[in-house]
Amino acid sequence: MTAGTALRDLAVAAIALIVLIAVPFFVHSPAFLDFIIRVAAMALFATSLNLLVGGTGLVSFGHGMFYGLGAYAFALLMQRTELSLAAAAAATLVIGAVAGLAVGAVCIRLRAIYFAFVTLAMQMLFYSIIITWQSLTGGDQGLQGGIPRRVLFGFDLNSQLHLYVLSSVVMVLGLLVLRHVSASPLGATLRMIRDNEPRTAFLGITIWRAKLTAFVIAAVFASLGGILAALFVSGAYPELANWPISGQAIFAVMLGGISTFLGPLAGAAILLALGDAVTRVTEYTGLVLGLVILFVTLGLRRGVLDVLMEALRRRRAPLARPATPKAAE
Amino acid sequence: MDLDALGQCVTTASCLVTQTTSGLIAGLLLFLVAAGLTLIFGVLKVVNFAHGTFYMLGGYIAFTTLQVTGSYTLAVLAGGAGMAVFGVFFERVLIARVYGQDVLMQLLVCYAVVLIFDDVVKMVWGADFLAMGMPPAFQVPPLFIAGGIVPPFYAVLIGIALVIAIALAAALGRTRAGKTVLAAAQNPSMVSALGINTDRLFALVFAIGAGLAGLGGALAAPVRSLTPGMGFSVLIDSFIVTVIGGMGSIGGALLAAVGIGLIRGFGTIGFPTFTDGLIYAAMIIVLLLRPTGLFGREVI
Amino acid sequence: MSLQVEHLTKRFGGLAAITDVTLDFPTGSLTAIIGPNGAGKSTFFNLISGAFRPDSGRVLLDGEDVTGHSRGDIVRHGIGRAFQVASIFPTMTVAENLMVAVAAHRGQWAGLGRRFPPAGARARAMEVAELVGLADVADTLSAHLSHGDQKLLDIALALALEPTVLLLDEPTAGMGPEERWQMIERVQRLWERQKLTLVFIEHDMDIVFRVAQTIRVLCYGRVLAEGDAEAIRTNQAVIDAYLGTEQHAA
Repeated sequence: MTAGTALRDLAVAAIALIVLIAVPFFVHSPAFLDFIIRVAAMALFATSLNLLVGGTGLVSFGHGMFYGLGAYAFALLMQRTELSLAAAAAATLVIGAVAGLAVGAVCIRLRAIYFAFVTLAMQMLFYSIIITWQSLTGGDQGLQGGIPRRVLFGFDLNSQLHLYVLSSVVMVLGLLVLRHVSASPLGATLRMIRDNEPRTAFLGITIWRAKLTAFVIAAVFASLGGILAALFVSGAYPELANWPISGQAIFAVMLGGISTFLGPLAGAAILLALGDAVTRVTEYTGLVLGLVILFVTLGLRRGVLDVLMEALRRRRAPLARPATPKAAE
Repeated sequence: MDLDALGQCVTTASCLVTQTTSGLIAGLLLFLVAAGLTLIFGVLKVVNFAHGTFYMLGGYIAFTTLQVTGSYTLAVLAGGAGMAVFGVFFERVLIARVYGQDVLMQLLVCYAVVLIFDDVVKMVWGADFLAMGMPPAFQVPPLFIAGGIVPPFYAVLIGIALVIAIALAAALGRTRAGKTVLAAAQNPSMVSALGINTDRLFALVFAIGAGLAGLGGALAAPVRSLTPGMGFSVLIDSFIVTVIGGMGSIGGALLAAVGIGLIRGFGTIGFPTFTDGLIYAAMIIVLLLRPTGLFGREVI
Repeated sequence: MSLQVEHLTKRFGGLAAITDVTLDFPTGSLTAIIGPNGAGKSTFFNLISGAFRPDSGRVLLDGEDVTGHSRGDIVRHGIGRAFQVASIFPTMTVAENLMVAVAAHRGQWAGLGRRFPPAGARARAMEVAELVGLADVADTLSAHLSHGDQKLLDIALALALEPTVLLLDEPTAGMGPEERWQMIERVQRLWERQKLTLVFIEHDMDIVFRVAQTIRVLCYGRVLAEGDAEAIRTNQAVIDAYLGTEQHAA
C-alpha cells in the first residue's frame, strides 16, 4: 500500500464519478436514477459496516441503528430547525459520531458473539424509542411532512436528477474517505486486530482505542447513508432502523466480498437489484432471499468480488516458495 | 408512561395477582426457550439465531394439531417433538457445515432460515394473526385468588413449565447422556477425544434445544397470538436472559427469565409501548455493572 | 536490562501454577528454562510479559516494578516475547507483518493522516527481516511460510520492537533435529549481536546444555534447581523429576 495506490484510488473515483454523471445524458431512465440513489445509501452503509466486519473482525449486527439515526436526525433537523441542508447534514454526522462513541464504549470490550447480539439489542432499543416517541418521530407511521429547503449549493433536490448527482458525489467521496481510512496506519492496525488480537496487544497497541475509533468512523458513514435514504424517501420511517436492515447490510457485505474494498458496494447493488426483481415476481421475498443467502454462504462460501480477486491473483502471481527449512547463514 | 396506573396496580391485590401470574407465565415460557438456546450455545458454541423460528413453528404446529385432533396434549407434544426432529434436520444439513467458521457465517445461515420460514408460515397459515384460543379442556371458570383472576390454564402452565425445568435439570445432571452433554459444554474437544460420537451428540443437543423452544411455543400458543415473525422478539429475549443470567448458569437463566417476564407483566401497565426498551436497558445496565452476568463465571 | 522476579505466585482456581518463584536474570545473560510439561514455564512468561497478573510477588526491570502492568506497557519497557505456536498475521506478507510491528513500535498505529506504511517503515522492516534471515521471503504471504520460517517471523515481530529482554517460548518447537540447531544458533547469534537478556524455554536437553549459560528448572510451579550445565546434569532432584536416566554427551 504505497502513495502510488492513493493516486490510483483517486483516478478510479474520478472516472466512476464522471461515468455516473454522464449516464443520464445518454439514458433516460428514472428507474435507473432511483436505483443508483438507493445503492449510494446502501453502499455507504455496507462499506462502513465492512470497516468493522472485514476490516477489524468486529461483527456488528446492529449497525442499522446508525443508518436509521442518520435518517431520522437529518429529517428532524430539517423539519424542526432552520438549518440549511449542509448544516443539518453536518450536525447529523456529529450526532452519529456521538452515538457511535456511546454504543461503542459499551460494546467494544465484548467477545465476538456477544458483541454481535448486544449491538443488535442496542439497535432494537433504538427502534423501540422510535416507535414509542410518537410526538417526535411519528411512531410507526414514520416521519410525515417531507423534507423542506431541499436546496444545496444551487441544486434543487426536489429534482430526481439533482438528487441523483448529489448521491453519486456523496457516495464516491464517502467511499474514497473510507478507502483512505482503510489504507491508513489505523487501517493496518485494525487488520492486525482482525488477524491476531493477542499478538497485537503484545506489540504495544491499545486495542480498545483502535476498535472504538473504527466503530465511531463506521457510525458516521452509516449515518451519511441514512441522510441519503432520508432525502430519497423525503422523511424517515421505522424500517430504516429495524433489524432486517442490519441483516441486509451484513448479507450485502458477505455477498459482495469482505476481503475487497468494493465488495460491499457490489453486494449492495446486487442485493437491491435482486430485491427489485423478486418483488416483481412474488411477495415471498424472504423465502427467495433466504435461499440465496444459503447458496452463497454454504455454496460459494465467499463473496462475488472475493472470488474474482482470487482468480485474478492466481493468474498473476505464481505459487509461493516451496516450504523448505532455511539453511543457516 | 403511566406510573399512576402502575402504582395503583401494585397496591391492589387483584391486579397484583393477575399481573404476577401473567408475568410468571411469560418468564417460565421464556426460560424454556432460553434454556434451549443456552444449551446449544454452550455445547456447540453456535449462536442459534434461528431459535425463534423453532418457537414460532412449535406454536403453529400445536395450533394445527389442536384443530385436527382436538387434544391440547397432543398439540403440545407435536410442537415439541416436531421441533426436535426439525432441529436435528437443521443441525445436520445446515449448521454442521458452518461449525468452527466465522460467527458471520453462522449468523447468516440462521438468518436465512428465519427469512425462509417466516415466509413458509405465511404461505401455509397466512399472514394474519391467528388465535389458538383456550383449548376445550381449559374452558372452565377462572380461579379467583385474592380477587385476582387466574385462568386455570395459567396454573397448569406454571406446573408444566416447572416440571419440564426440573426434568431437564435431572436429565442433564443424572443420566449418562445428559452428563455427556454437560461435559461437552465444558470441554468439547475432550468429549470427541474420549471416543464419543460427536455427530450424534450435537444432533441430540440441537434436538433438545429446538424441542424446548417448540414446547415453549406450543405452551404459549393459547395465550399468545400467532403471527409470522413472532420468533424474533423471543430470540432477543432469550439472548438477553443468557446475558443477564450469565453464560452457563441455568439458575441464572431462570431468575433472569422470570425477571423479564415480570417486567413485561407490570411493564404493560406502566410503560405500555416501552416495555421492550426497558428490557434492553436492563441488559445494558447489567452488562455495565456486572460483566459476567448475574451468575456467570466468564466475562461476556 | 536486567530482569528480576520475586516470590511470584499465580493460581488458577484451585490449581497453583506458579508458587513463590524468585529468579534473577542479569543483563546480557542467556538462560534456559526447562521442566516437565505443566511445570508452569509458559505461565511464567505470561506473568512477566503482562498477559496475567500475579497473585503475589513482583516483576522488576532494571529495578523498576512493572508487576501487573499491561502487555503494551511492558512491551514499551523493552520486554519482547515470541510464542510456542508462532503468533503472526496470516493475511499479511512477511514485510507487512514487520512493517506493522515497526509502526506500532514508533507509535504510528493510530494515524489517519497519511497512507500506510509510514516513511522508513519498510527499510527498518527489511533490517529486522535480515536479522532473522527472512529477507528473501519478504513478499511471501506469512500464512504460506514453512513452519520454521513462521517461528522466525514470530521472533522477528518481537525484535522489531527493539527489546532489551527477549523471552522465547520453545523456539525450536515442531522442528526436526537439524533445523533445531540452525534455529538455536541463529538465536545465539542474535543474542550476541543485539546484546539481549535472553530467556528461552526448551525441551531439547542437548541444545540446552550446549547453549545456555544458566539453566533454571521449574517443576510443579516451583524452582527445582538452577545452575550451569554441569550442575544441572548431575543434580539428583532434576534427574529424578525430569531428566530420567538419559545420558547426555558432553
